[in-house]
Amino acid sequence: MTITGTGSRATRALGVLTLALFALLALLGLVLSPPDAAMGEAVRLFYVHVPAALASYAGIAVLGFGSVMYLWKRSLTWDLLAAAAAEIALVFTALTLVTGSLWGRPTWGTYWEWDPRLTATAVLFLLLLGHVAVRAAGGDVHGRARRSAVVGLLATVDVPIVRYSVDWWRSLHQPATLSKLDPTIDGLMLFSAFVGIVAFMAAFTWFLLHRFRVAWLEEQVEELSLADAIVERRAEGGRS
Amino acid sequence: MDLTPNAAPVRRRRRGRTVVLSTVVVAVLGVVVVRGLGDATLYFHNVDEAVARRDALSDDRFRLQGSVVDGTVDRVGETTTFEVTYNGVQATVRHRGEIPKMFAPGIPVVLEGRWSDDGFRSDRMLVKHSEVYVAENPERTTGYGETTPTS
Repeated sequence: MTITGTGSRATRALGVLTLALFALLALLGLVLSPPDAAMGEAVRLFYVHVPAALASYAGIAVLGFGSVMYLWKRSLTWDLLAAAAAEIALVFTALTLVTGSLWGRPTWGTYWEWDPRLTATAVLFLLLLGHVAVRAAGGDVHGRARRSAVVGLLATVDVPIVRYSVDWWRSLHQPATLSKLDPTIDGLMLFSAFVGIVAFMAAFTWFLLHRFRVAWLEEQVEELSLADAIVERRAEGGRS
Repeated sequence: MDLTPNAAPVRRRRRGRTVVLSTVVVAVLGVVVVRGLGDATLYFHNVDEAVARRDALSDDRFRLQGSVVDGTVDRVGETTTFEVTYNGVQATVRHRGEIPKMFAPGIPVVLEGRWSDDGFRSDRMLVKHSEVYVAENPERTTGYGETTPTS
């Protein structure tokens, strides 16, 4: 069997859906939704900042689940899933920090402030970066899986701290709007945010499927070359 | 001769220990971070606390949080003077420095500076946005005549 890519009919359909959702989000976020009474046009960053943060939480949920399952079952499949999710979560966390920084300047008056939520998010970014670094360090696959699972769990623990930092401590960052029973947000703004979340979740799922398949194929290649090496060694042994 | 290492039971025990140990470490770390940060991250003092603790704060640099009182903003040269309020307590602020675009009466601000004889002297101001998002409504002014019922 020749494998020519990581796409399938399902991922192609998901990809088309994701792109359509982003087109709709651009229309809603940039054209149709109104400017905010207090912050004006800068409110449009809401429709990428919040969805990017939620996509990073989703990625870390998969990372945490994969890490626990690896430590329990010791199956490399879970390790590969966790690794794929961690990389994508890293990208979405970076996007959250960048969009938040760009939003902070015109609203708060600063690109960065060491307030509890921003600090906890910076820690999250570093932990995810650490996860990628631990994997790059190489070594025995199960040793690597064990070490990265521990880092993955640390990142998972940080997520509720990031999420609730604005409720537990005094923060420059505003508290949550969308999870309130009666969200304090204009109707069309709420709908744009909703489309943003669906679009980013679709993108996350799409990326995760492809990244996991790539990781799995890499693993297969490694196993194949290992098996070949063993066969070769056996053949050498037979000759001597 | 069978040279296969008979290590399966050892691995099992080690695996169980790793899971338990990492769960404990993660749980403890979570508790420490949550409880420890809770005390350490006093990001700002509200106006009422800062006024009550004025002597204790002496000339320490800290952040003050309160809402700008309507009708008190006065700009003279580089200094902007205004009152901030929180929980019914007011304080006078003398601010020299950049003023964020969103600065307006009624909006909550975070100011960095220290107490002095004539109030709180700040050199850094950040606007604290609330979690409320309201559409700017141009119809409210342009369409006012048509939509208001005439009695």
